Amino acid sequence: MDCSEACKHLSDLNRGRLEADTAEVVRAHVAQCPTCAAALQTEARVRVLIQAQVPRHSTPSALRARVQALLAESTSPEESVARGAAARSRRTAGLSGWRDLFRGHPWTLGSLACAAAVLLVVSAGWLWLAKDPVSRLADRAVAEHLEYIKDTMTRPAAEPSAVMGEVKSQVDFAFEPVFPGDAQVQLVSGKVEKLGGKRTAMFIYRDASGHYTTLFLMPEAGIVIPDEGRLPIETFKPYHRMTKGRQLLLWKQRNLACLLVSDLDQAGMASMFLKVRKAA
Amino acid sequence: MENPRTRLPEEALSHLDALYNLARWLARDSVEAEDLVQETYLRAVRAAHQFQPGTNLRAWLFRILRNTFFTQYKRKRREPEVVDPEILDGMPDTSGAVSVDDRMAGPPDGTAGLDLVAALNRLPEEYRSVVLLSDLEDFSMGEIAAIMDCPVGTVKSRLFRARGILKQLLRDYPH
Repeated sequence: MDCSEACKHLSDLNRGRLEADTAEVVRAHVAQCPTCAAALQTEARVRVLIQAQVPRHSTPSALRARVQALLAESTSPEESVARGAAARSRRTAGLSGWRDLFRGHPWTLGSLACAAAVLLVVSAGWLWLAKDPVSRLADRAVAEHLEYIKDTMTRPAAEPSAVMGEVKSQVDFAFEPVFPGDAQVQLVSGKVEKLGGKRTAMFIYRDASGHYTTLFLMPEAGIVIPDEGRLPIETFKPYHRMTKGRQLLLWKQRNLACLLVSDLDQAGMASMFLKVRKAA
Repeated sequence: MENPRTRLPEEALSHLDALYNLARWLARDSVEAEDLVQETYLRAVRAAHQFQPGTNLRAWLFRILRNTFFTQYKRKRREPEVVDPEILDGMPDTSGAVSVDDRMAGPPDGTAGLDLVAALNRLPEEYRSVVLLSDLEDFSMGEIAAIMDCPVGTVKSRLFRARGILKQLLRDYPH
């Protein structure tokens, strides 16, 4: 394998997505090629940099409401076409038809506009409140995960027993034993934050490729895990979802709700889950 | 014959945030991005009968988003000056340059992200989208190839070159 071929596989190699045979050939090339070895390192670092520092744009609540309505009402392609045309005409052609209707009565149009604005604000607030607790928990956990990466990306891994002691002193529930890391994955840090109104123990891990995984542990009371969306991993079936491009697993263990958020792909996440689940 | 009762899986809504995020990068304007996302869902609803249950809904929606953008929006009027990958290819290798490492550490106020965003914005769209789909959305090379309608080898090559360009641009930005 030459450099031009090897460089195309570096990203997949870092993400553990190469077939075993190909990975072996690429690794062999990288081991004897300083240029590709440096490129492999750059690949991982730029990736982590982008994940940690590129901001995500928040979806406007009005757009969310429109899309929700569109999906909820869609029953047939014919209706969709009609609705699509209507929606497009609302957004692109403006309100010319309504203006014609109310021509000569500007106060009426103004009043309607005010009422619509109030309705929009109220419904946006309602939609936020109506978002299910697990979705809110997932959003918050992913946000914490991303913040935590920023805080810890340049830190060396801490001594696991020191991390556990520090975290234990800040919460009033038992959470040990916790996965202390192994040859592939290092425990970098631990801390306590409020998540869903509960004090939560957080542990962040980093693997050799620069992927980060955060484990959240909190008292299980009041947390209902949906029956749907379960991911079979060996004999376990944790709840699984993607949130903002991150893998998320949620399960209960002893008296704890356990939440894992990771930059890993699904296979890597499953492997990480087994380590965490079995260590406890 | 279309199945008149075909509906998009409920999962479709869960991809809204990611779709809107990419739409902002493509359209560079919040209003246009909203229109683009709404049009994407409209097209998806209309084409729901073409979606195969069990296949990758997320990648399918992203493909529609990108196709919609290129068929309906004149992106070039807002495309700022971008880097020519051919020119950067000829520049000396900067492996080991300290700037990327410095950015990794980042100043405490988080301003490093601004330079990174500026650097991403200077990438040609084909390169920027590959980076965003790979790094922010965690799509596989095969999924990105399907979304962007190009060979997997092209995606891999663009991603590798984009990394090099970003590294070069970050080095060039004033500290």
